Amino acid sequence: MKKIKVSLESVREEIESFYDYKKWHFLTLNGLALADNRMEVQWIFSKYEALDEVVVYYAEIEYTDIIPSIADMIPSAIISQREIVDMFGVKVDGSEKGLYLDEDSIQRPLSGCAI
Amino acid sequence: MKKTINIPLGSQHISLLEPVRFKFECENEKIISVDSDVGFVHRGIERACTTKFKFDAIGYVVARVCGLCAITHSLSYTAAVEKLLGGEITKKAKYLRILLLELDRIHSHMLCLSHTCENAGFEAMFMRIMGDRELVMEIQELLTGNRVQFDYINIGGVNRDINSEVAKKIIENLYEVKQRVLGYMDEFTNNWSLSLKFKGIGALSLDDAYSFNAIGPLARASGLNIDVRNEIDYLPFNEIGFKMQTQFEGDINARNIVRLNEIFNSILMCENIVNGLPEGEIFTKLKGKPNGEAIVRFEAPRGELMYYVKGNGSAMLERVRIKTPTFACIPAFTHIFVGENYADAPAILASFDPCLSCTAK
Repeated sequence: MKKIKVSLESVREEIESFYDYKKWHFLTLNGLALADNRMEVQWIFSKYEALDEVVVYYAEIEYTDIIPSIADMIPSAIISQREIVDMFGVKVDGSEKGLYLDEDSIQRPLSGCAI
Repeated sequence: MKKTINIPLGSQHISLLEPVRFKFECENEKIISVDSDVGFVHRGIERACTTKFKFDAIGYVVARVCGLCAITHSLSYTAAVEKLLGGEITKKAKYLRILLLELDRIHSHMLCLSHTCENAGFEAMFMRIMGDRELVMEIQELLTGNRVQFDYINIGGVNRDINSEVAKKIIENLYEVKQRVLGYMDEFTNNWSLSLKFKGIGALSLDDAYSFNAIGPLARASGLNIDVRNEIDYLPFNEIGFKMQTQFEGDINARNIVRLNEIFNSILMCENIVNGLPEGEIFTKLKGKPNGEAIVRFEAPRGELMYYVKGNGSAMLERVRIKTPTFACIPAFTHIFVGENYADAPAILASFDPCLSCTAK
């Protein structure tokens, strides 16, 4: 697994220059709660027909930051963007709440500060 | 001005076993847009894995994500933890893991094919396949003690060895299954209700399969060469006769044929394992607690399953992320529906073989 650190400002540009849709396969968007009200966001890719070649772009953000959407480049990303909105209580451009959680559910359950 | 109507399919529908809702906007019979809701049975398993259970129990917890591909879930999690702990498990344990994985694939594909028959109005064939599927369930029970949700895989190996009687029964039952599946192949190739009727329906082009990151039989039916068994070396799939199965039409019929061919390939792999099972122990004690992060992928019956595990050297993990195949394919599913007739929607949906238990985890 190769990890590449990016900023929220540059992540779209980085992924756009890296992602060849016939060579790379978008696995998922992942979140990881960190200390001090911060989290790590990971965009995970694997290479077609290569032996376990996985690339992770990641950014450390605050929960109040707005994560840019990559769904215009990678349509399948929309579903995991909606998931991270529910699970971590963050905002992703153009992704609405409510994929999994109802209004009366525990909110942002994976954020480390669930309410 | 064109008039459109909205027709919901689900959350409870006769053609669906699990709760999912698609809202179709139709112009006459044609679907022009689709909205989906997949979150009816969210159970908070990822959160439970980091707050309620120690790392050595989670393999059994994640087996409850799904009744059909329980073995792939516990295997993926276990392999991720083994990667963090270091050390190698025995070759015999690896072979036994593949055996269960492929048996899971056989009965899961049989379930999907039976639902396809049901949606085609071919009830007798549905009952026939479900009855034949019991031959595989019987083997799984003999091997693991359970028909579903097997607690077979543990960190360091597997929980039960195989004896000569069980090995004989596996070979006998798999021979029977193979004969029955040859019969299905004939029906799915030549019977109008199951072949011609589904040709050209619910098709996904190769380019769209790439664009939407399709996986599993859905992608392989469109000619996309993606099968995790071909992309990992944690388990020796190449030693036991794995061969990727693809078709090119991308429609319901092509997905059925991919699944049928995969059943034959899985039977061959299982026979090779039982006939050439290495000597040795089934368990290796791996010491320590997981520290660091690992990503592991396996090919579940519906496609690529991914586990991300992060540990900090304690018994409680910091993160367990489960990316299930149906969840990843939802955008592709909604894309496929557009332009199809509403009357074909249940059959198209059944051909996706969706697992909402996995999706909502």
